[in-house]
Amino acid sequence: MTNRQFDGQSDTMAAQIRTEETPMQASPAALPLAPVVPLVSMSGISKNFGAVRALTGVDLEVYPGEVVALVGDNGAGKSTLVKILAGVFKPDAGSITFAGTPVSIGNPAEAHDLGIATVFQDLALCDNLDVVSNLWLGRELAVRGVLDHVEMETRSWALLRELSVRIPSVRARVATLSGGQRQTVAIARSLIGEPSVVILDEPTAALGVAAAAEVLNLIERLRERGLGVIVISHNITDVQAVSDRIVVLRLGRNNGHFRTDEVTNEIVISAITGASVYSR
Amino acid sequence: MYGFDVQSRHPTPGSQTSLREANRARIVESLKRHGHLTQVELAGATGLSAATISNIVKELSAAGVVNTAGTSRSGRRAVEVTLARRQGLVAGLHISKRHMRVAISDVDRTVVAENHLPLASDHRHDREMDRAALLLGDMVDALDASVSDILVLGMALPHPVDPLTGMISTPGLMRGWDGVAMADSMSERIQLPVFVDTEANMGGLAELRSGAARGITSGVYVRVGNSIGGSLLINGSSYRGATGRAGEIGHVMIDPRGPLCACGNKGCLEVFAAGPALLELFRDDPGIHRLRDVLLRAEAGDSGATRALADAGRHIGAAAAIISTMFDPEMIVVGGELAEAGELLLAPLRHELERATIGTIAPTVVTGMLGDRAAVLGCLAAAIDNVAAEWKPQIR
Repeated sequence: MTNRQFDGQSDTMAAQIRTEETPMQASPAALPLAPVVPLVSMSGISKNFGAVRALTGVDLEVYPGEVVALVGDNGAGKSTLVKILAGVFKPDAGSITFAGTPVSIGNPAEAHDLGIATVFQDLALCDNLDVVSNLWLGRELAVRGVLDHVEMETRSWALLRELSVRIPSVRARVATLSGGQRQTVAIARSLIGEPSVVILDEPTAALGVAAAAEVLNLIERLRERGLGVIVISHNITDVQAVSDRIVVLRLGRNNGHFRTDEVTNEIVISAITGASVYSR
Repeated sequence: MYGFDVQSRHPTPGSQTSLREANRARIVESLKRHGHLTQVELAGATGLSAATISNIVKELSAAGVVNTAGTSRSGRRAVEVTLARRQGLVAGLHISKRHMRVAISDVDRTVVAENHLPLASDHRHDREMDRAALLLGDMVDALDASVSDILVLGMALPHPVDPLTGMISTPGLMRGWDGVAMADSMSERIQLPVFVDTEANMGGLAELRSGAARGITSGVYVRVGNSIGGSLLINGSSYRGATGRAGEIGHVMIDPRGPLCACGNKGCLEVFAAGPALLELFRDDPGIHRLRDVLLRAEAGDSGATRALADAGRHIGAAAAIISTMFDPEMIVVGGELAEAGELLLAPLRHELERATIGTIAPTVVTGMLGDRAAVLGCLAAAIDNVAAEWKPQIR
């Protein structure tokens, strides 16, 4: 078959299968929707510790139902940035808006009241207490001054079931749980206060494959609940598996901002190491 | 297959029997997830009362579905419940563009463990196969078994594997997986026989054995998600063709002047209707990052998302019409992530199919019954089929 013939034939075929639209397109671009307001928007955040410039003019936005990965080398400022959001540090410059309203977060309690929950790397669980006590620690439910164990246990089961967390018993002491189960308990605990933003610091570090799978699935479910999730991680593969956007920090500055589905490992790594320079 | 027939699976809704069935299913599901649980833990995990658990466990135990054994928890006597399994396990591994799914079943087709995890869009063979092997190891450990108790692993990949070289037959479609003999490489990791096929063939096989295509002698399974694959289901098995590429509907050319596809051709169906093409339309929308987001938007009545799905359906219909004309199937089963869109996708698909198929009767178009799990269930089915093949020489 010559090229000429081939072209002729395929043209007829194309004509046959084309319907209302010619030429064939994937489909017209979707209409712009009402603008979605970011849940949290940090802009121009700077923070110095004495002579150390930890952050310089850093921007970060999180939308509802979105997982944003914050990646960078050690000392890039990732933890400082989320600690500012969690109310641990006060920024020297820059502004934070929460659901469109400018806010100042003075201490962790204020962050919590706004609906920002943080799961730090050390998890801060009490090994000697069982899962229920850990989940409700400091926020225990009480009826006339007496702890309402039944209600707490029922609601714990409901939450853990909803998150499909694999824990054999909520009355198991945390010391008896595996690393992955502890991480999921810590994440579940952050949800007790019905937050809208959850910050996870290195959630899959030091976990085995099955445990890491559990945590990654859990992050997907947080996303499905419409929460904004910020994940700090060194594991680029995990980051690419669960995140929607990747924000790279390098030496306290933004160095790249990518949509996860259009970026490769190599690009992210070169942004982290500074082999390529991106400005926002 | 997978232990039920349609009749007993669906008793009258709302009746005592259906409630009992549902409770029974809940208990079995919990056991699959946890491996083994005491009756008290089962009560917590399922939300059923201790008395109900005790009754149902007794019943299931009598029927040979579960085993019970005395044990102790926190110093108290307890009854530990495990799923009964026949000697011999098989495993299924489904690696798709964005997901890995692992399942273990016994040779009687009862799934005893299942797990899944999201994957990076740009994953690599070495890391993912390592992870799959470790995950499989963890899962059999939870069953108090070891990897050597597994007889065969069935493995599904998004793209066809050349039966001669064992490598992905079209380089470029799956960056990071090219140039590796899949079955050998996986087999080396777990020291088990491995059987590899496309996710579409595996999914089709599962739908054929236990899903929407049961009893169909000529059917087509189309898997639409982040990639598009297809399988020709002929007389109870999937037809693989000379080089394993039969039925690859995602690379049927629907517009010769269309954009370049990763396979090297132009205007393949995949370039118009697969996940990346759909997501590209919502590039500037901060609320849409995954196919699931598009589906949720469409469900909520968003016109842009509905239109995008309808267009995808039309394009798939155009390609399906070509296959339908060549092959005249009774039924087309649509599976994969996008199939969850239901009629939003299928109605335009049918319309286009009817318009472009020869004759007046186009094949029936239905959604798959097994959803996301189709491919991994197909892996198990294929593995069981291959157990027989593997066993014969040993029996002599």
